[in-house]
Amino acid sequence: MSGAPFKATVNEYLEDLPPQVQSRLYTSPATCLAIYRLLPKLAKFFIMSMVFNESDVSLRDLDRWVQSTAKFQFNEAIKSMKSLHLLIEGHSGQPFMINLNSIFRSSFRNALTGGEVNNSFGNVVDDEHEVVLPEMLDQYAANKWESILHYMVGTPLTQTPSRNVLSLLQHSKLMEENGTGELQITNEGFQFLLQDANAQIWTLLLQYLRLAETLQMDPVDVLNFIFMLGALELGKAYNDSHLSDTQKVMLQDMRDYGLVFQKASNSTKFYPTRLAAMLTSDSMSIRSASSAMNSVLTQGTASNTKTDEPPAAKDDADQDPGQVGTTAQIIPDGAVILETNFKIYSYSNSPLQIAILSLFVHLKARFTNMVTGQITRDSVRRALLNGITADQIIAYMETHAHPQMRRLAEQTLDKKIELDPNCKEGLQILPPTVVDQIKLWQLELDRILSYDGYLFTDFDNSQEYSMLSNYASDIGVLLWKDDKKRRFFVSQEGNAQVIDYAKRKLKKK
Amino acid sequence: MPRARKGALVKCDPSIKALIIQIDTNKNDIILEELDDTHLLVDPAKVEFIKSELNRLMAQNIYDPLDEEEES
Repeated sequence: MSGAPFKATVNEYLEDLPPQVQSRLYTSPATCLAIYRLLPKLAKFFIMSMVFNESDVSLRDLDRWVQSTAKFQFNEAIKSMKSLHLLIEGHSGQPFMINLNSIFRSSFRNALTGGEVNNSFGNVVDDEHEVVLPEMLDQYAANKWESILHYMVGTPLTQTPSRNVLSLLQHSKLMEENGTGELQITNEGFQFLLQDANAQIWTLLLQYLRLAETLQMDPVDVLNFIFMLGALELGKAYNDSHLSDTQKVMLQDMRDYGLVFQKASNSTKFYPTRLAAMLTSDSMSIRSASSAMNSVLTQGTASNTKTDEPPAAKDDADQDPGQVGTTAQIIPDGAVILETNFKIYSYSNSPLQIAILSLFVHLKARFTNMVTGQITRDSVRRALLNGITADQIIAYMETHAHPQMRRLAEQTLDKKIELDPNCKEGLQILPPTVVDQIKLWQLELDRILSYDGYLFTDFDNSQEYSMLSNYASDIGVLLWKDDKKRRFFVSQEGNAQVIDYAKRKLKKK
Repeated sequence: MPRARKGALVKCDPSIKALIIQIDTNKNDIILEELDDTHLLVDPAKVEFIKSELNRLMAQNIYDPLDEEEES
């Protein structure tokens, strides 16, 4: 679903770092633990087998642990460890003998067994008088993060995110300035909105890392801080005394994103929020930004729920296909029903979810637990003109489809297969008529293609014509030609070259 | 001696081409040359005008369910 610019995960960013920077990163136990958590399962297993073993290990021995059907996973695991330089050549230098990066090994041991951790897991401050409740932190994080997302979808708001956030959004091309100097959501921005909260935070943080490099901030400091945040405990206060200057600057920025909370901007204490705790957790089941936020909010506001539970745990429950639809609570928030008559119903009262829908739906009425609307040519065109593609709209509705729709689609498919066992059709969750129409509306937008350039005519003979048209097509600037009438069209950029060539060739004669 | 003529190449289906020709009949200042069924050479300055006119013409042929509802 996500487009190319968001393929870059934090793992890829780490892999691209030069080995020296990686080695410096590995001196922090908290960072090692975070990286370990980001690795594939099999890689975790291998690292565990090697972390207390100083001597070289044969790659074949590792291979023997793996079933022959899982070769792909094995290679993935080895590749990811090698590109992070966690796996290095053995001391003996023999082929296929490997060992663990010694810096990583000692830091990771410290992280596991609690040796010298050098404050890399943060300094807890115990202060009985200034207790900040997790509920309050949740509220704060949800507020900050939602206000960023709200700003992106353009809901009229009382509070605008801080200038830092805006410049980051602009820098990451999620928003861009339009003619009147206002920020407007881009194509990438819409894709961004469709991702889950964890991926969104990482997207922003990765952009932050890139921005930090241009500001001469040390990436090791920045990464250590991010990974440390992921390891901190919710509801505890932490002291900023051990942070480097770069990290203190970062603290201010992270506060703007809702990752940490401070009572006052000059306070020496900070409190991580649930958004920070989510950073390195590998449970990716949080479905979308708003539903994640909602579960955070409901957990935060409902007094009797267990607030220590991570937000992911709640979402795990609502995806059970056997039970969905029987009770209202387990329908995921924002579930969308799309009818063949283009009417759309979304069970959501999150303003954010509604705002995202309103990007491409003509909303008609809002009830306590749902909104209704209609997909019209105009509403889709508006979205298309904003740079949102038909595929993105369809993908969004598909991932947010109501479980009932999914079940209906499965039943229809079962019936089809019963009738025709060779049926190759896939699962059609959305009504095909609507899907096709949205695609047609997109095609309609570019009914004409126009290219600026020059039309070459009046050739004396076919030899002259074919010489020039062949040259134009060889250099790839020929857009159209008509051999019979001896004329062709070249693009604006290629025109000068063709004319030069023509002058050279025709003069010789 | 060959001649190069500045213009904008418009690529479209024959139905759209017919519409463009219709737009052109008023002033005859848009189309420089009809190349074939799917290609036209037009005045580069008029490309945006063609697009907006096409949108207007095609919108007339679209059934909008909202209009009907609001009337009834």
